[in-house]
Amino acid sequence: MTIRTLLGGRIVRDLIVVVVLVFGVGSLAMLLAHVSPLDGFGALFDGAFGTREEVAETLVQATNLLFPALGIAIAFRAGLFNIGAEGQLVLGGFAAGWLGAQIPLPAVLAVPMVLIAGTLAGGAWGAIPGFLRARFGANEVIATLMLNVIAVLLATYLVNGPLALPGSGASETPTLPHAAQLGDLVANSRLTWAFPIALVLAFALRWLLQRTVFGYELRAAGDAPEAAKRAGIDLGRTALIAMSLSGALAGLGGATIVAGELHRFNTGLSPGYGFIAIAVALVGNLDPLWIIVAAFAFGVLQSGGIAMQAEAGVPRDVVSLVTGLVIIALAGRRVVATRRTT
Amino acid sequence: MNALAAGVLAILTLTLIKATPLIYAALGGVLSERSGVVNIGLEGILIAGAFTSVVVSGATGSPVVGALCGIVAGALLAAILAYGATRLGVDQIVAGTGLNIAALAAAAFGIVLVYHQPGATHEVPAFGLAGQTTLILLAFAVAVLLHVVLNRTPWGLHVRACGEDPGAAEAAGIDALRTRFTAVVIGGAIASLGGVYLALAELDLYSDGMTAGRGFIALAAVIFGRWTPLGATGAALFFGFFSALQFSLQRAGVPSELMQALPYLAAVIALAGFAGRVRAPASDGVPYVRS
Amino acid sequence: MQAVDGVDLDLFAGEIHALVGENGAGKSTLAAIAYGAVRPDEGTVTAAGVVGLVHQHFKLIERLRVWENVLLNREPRRGLTIDAAAARERVRALGEAYGLRVDPDALVETLPVGIKQRVELLRELDREPAVLLLDEPTASLAPGEIASFFATIAGLAARGTAILVVTHKLAEVIAYSERVTVMRAGAVVARHRTSDTSAAQIAREMVGGEVPALAARAERPLEPLLEAREFSAVSGTSALIDATFTVGAGEIVGIAGIEGNGQSALADALAGVVAFSGTLSLAGTALGASDTPAERLQRGLRVIPQDRRREALVLDWNVRDNAVLGRQRVIPFARYGEAARELIARFDVRPPNPDAIVGLLSGGNQQKIVVGRALAGAPALIVAYQPTRGIDIGAAVLVQSRLIEARNAGAGVLLISFELDEIFACADRVLVLAQGRIAGAFARDTIDRGRIGALMAGHA
Repeated sequence: MTIRTLLGGRIVRDLIVVVVLVFGVGSLAMLLAHVSPLDGFGALFDGAFGTREEVAETLVQATNLLFPALGIAIAFRAGLFNIGAEGQLVLGGFAAGWLGAQIPLPAVLAVPMVLIAGTLAGGAWGAIPGFLRARFGANEVIATLMLNVIAVLLATYLVNGPLALPGSGASETPTLPHAAQLGDLVANSRLTWAFPIALVLAFALRWLLQRTVFGYELRAAGDAPEAAKRAGIDLGRTALIAMSLSGALAGLGGATIVAGELHRFNTGLSPGYGFIAIAVALVGNLDPLWIIVAAFAFGVLQSGGIAMQAEAGVPRDVVSLVTGLVIIALAGRRVVATRRTT
Repeated sequence: MNALAAGVLAILTLTLIKATPLIYAALGGVLSERSGVVNIGLEGILIAGAFTSVVVSGATGSPVVGALCGIVAGALLAAILAYGATRLGVDQIVAGTGLNIAALAAAAFGIVLVYHQPGATHEVPAFGLAGQTTLILLAFAVAVLLHVVLNRTPWGLHVRACGEDPGAAEAAGIDALRTRFTAVVIGGAIASLGGVYLALAELDLYSDGMTAGRGFIALAAVIFGRWTPLGATGAALFFGFFSALQFSLQRAGVPSELMQALPYLAAVIALAGFAGRVRAPASDGVPYVRS
Repeated sequence: MQAVDGVDLDLFAGEIHALVGENGAGKSTLAAIAYGAVRPDEGTVTAAGVVGLVHQHFKLIERLRVWENVLLNREPRRGLTIDAAAARERVRALGEAYGLRVDPDALVETLPVGIKQRVELLRELDREPAVLLLDEPTASLAPGEIASFFATIAGLAARGTAILVVTHKLAEVIAYSERVTVMRAGAVVARHRTSDTSAAQIAREMVGGEVPALAARAERPLEPLLEAREFSAVSGTSALIDATFTVGAGEIVGIAGIEGNGQSALADALAGVVAFSGTLSLAGTALGASDTPAERLQRGLRVIPQDRRREALVLDWNVRDNAVLGRQRVIPFARYGEAARELIARFDVRPPNPDAIVGLLSGGNQQKIVVGRALAGAPALIVAYQPTRGIDIGAAVLVQSRLIEARNAGAGVLLISFELDEIFACADRVLVLAQGRIAGAFARDTIDRGRIGALMAGHA
């Protein structure tokens, strides 16, 4: 039985690994693309920090990652794998975009409605694998993976078919009325109130995990399920709640993308945030506060990556490649107590 | 031959075509999991097999050489997971997920590097009818072979022992880590043939996202097949059948997205029905650490 | 602290040599070194042939067959495949030769514990070892089976095998060994010819002084507390059938039995982890057949589980959070620290630091937390399942004393143990569990070791 190492050598070592991967593999890929690493990374960091608007965009990417990462971390802490954050995020965005366009309301009601709709939709989609796990002991890894694909197909079908609204393009909803849009924080940018909302949520989740009985029981279910069961903790109920909460956070993330950045739902609203968020959760050691830092780091990679492709001609896929390698490298962090389901 | 018989024959043929990549991937998954290593990275291995075989076939003009290189690529990817799982004792599900993301990105990057265009490769020399049929029959042959190896050979017994209780296996003098490593790598080689088939027999090129989650459906097939080669093959055929139905039902007016979702829905529903009644190898997914 | 420190041990062909020490003294580690599974930091191990080891917790693969386990990695072959027929015959013949008959085709998971030990033994014997190490070999045997087990061992010794028996059962040491080596805290503290020493002397050498005394049992009027009628349950492979018994408030009822005869089903059903059939009532009110553990805890029923590392503790957490587990909703969150400090003081948990990580504590201190937790808040009924498993004598005596004190204060205690000595020391009444049924009942003053041993083995 392993002891998860406390703050100290292990986190430092993991950070070094991440840095080596980012710069090492990144440079290698750039060289393969006939681009000097200096140019490539230069474009990346310049794109992330160069101007005020670019910093704002980096924060936008960080925010988009923070929501699902918090959700994934909650699931991990409860001993569950939520690989379906992408699907939960998409459905959350769809609910927000559709309801917002369908039901015009004054701003003070429209924004909460849109955000709550996204949260509930994501939460419901997360509840499905949670329920399957609680009631049947079904493997939530496969369930969430399957539901990811089904979610995108479902959203595409609904938005083009039975729930199509007038004035929309292909596979998207019409533009949200201004009242339903999240206000900008920085002019000429896409940074909205979503960013502070995400930060507040991170702090709230940390408090929930460390300072409440609910958090105590959730962590016990994740760290020692058999002991938790005998201590009176209902593992099935914990699984259902944790997966629903996890989905809700991802769904809220989708809603903020729709309400804040795109101002409409589009099936392509996420370039894989739900998967990159897995890396963010791991780099943040499953701690909501550290995840803020990790989300920022990956936000740099995401927004810088766009510039890197545009200015230096290095395909953005390099960023995804490095992200995947980071996940592999940090898989050594034994995130879930070993136990069997199907 | 009347229309009904022709229709049934068409569905059966299509089932075989759709099922073959799943069979290969599922067989690779079975071997890996029987030794005790969960391989979530099957999707990434399919991608590696598909992409590599396309590029090499394009470069050499020979689909056979492409296929062989595809197998090597799949085995290499599996070796990364195997190394992490055995020597480093990492969380296998997390590592597999990372592998999938990295493989997808590497292939996308590779397309741009080699073909100077994003999204998809050119068409490359692919297998004709003879080659396609061979690959389909080979899948079934591998299933039978794996069944015999696991149940009748010493190495197969050692693999099963490592999957149930690596500590006990080591007490008998078996190197559990090496056995697991070998099983995962061979499993990766088998699974990559699924990607090879997809690329060089079905579609004649590689495009982003071509594998579309088949690696995950294969995992579901492993479970429904109760972690046996023959069972997983049967389950893969079942899922292939749903895939084959897609086109016919689409012509009948059922929305295309529902059709595309059928195999995944079938997997989720069956997961609920099967769960709790089948037992994985006792040490499946549990890293073995020598104390 | 070294697990094993500067140990010299010589084993001669044909002798039966006992290695004794309390839990944590280093005897299992020494055996593992002798076997070759663990490499020593210093020193050498030399053997005149193959060394076999029969582990305390069997290294058998449950879902494989007997012959697959016995011949694992030494399978007879026919070409590229295994010659299964030859393998079966070889195992059958082996069993005949040593008087340890087993069905070669049986799945190990279906076998009773005593037969599993035969399979484990056969596996080592097939290698024709010059040295055979046996780690706590009689832990799962009925008293009646112990004699025939040692007869088998004596037969092996007569053929020239050197036998090392690692044990803490001093009665067996005196009865069956020729020489004995005593270990304490990783070092050898004494060597004797068995005929020159006594159990009492060995016990003193094991502990390094006098064995601490158990708490006294007070006279108590009895009130009915737990009533079980035709109580049946299944937990995994453990099955309890039609058990009818009572436990009174203020008494300790000991459940004697060999491991694998329904104890886990009994404990898990009382804990609410599995459902039961029949009737069960606590203080007059019935317990629901499919209650959850939370409901049982609410009724004042606490269970000390058999496997503390997996079933009772969160090893990654600190002492404070573990001390509260089970009462996390009863105690206000802000008072967790206070409750933990109270437990640490009352149960002498070392180090007395609420922030210490439980996984790093010794087994004895871990168990003190588990027991302290179970006894906190004056529960009505305590089910103690192997409460002193794998802990040092000092901690064991403390745990047993606390159980007696709880009994003195009016709680009912159901003590399920595989160690007869523990039951005889603590219990007011003894029930024998054999093949899932209650086979006999004895009051403290009518305890008959021979009769109990026979019942445990399944003889009427």
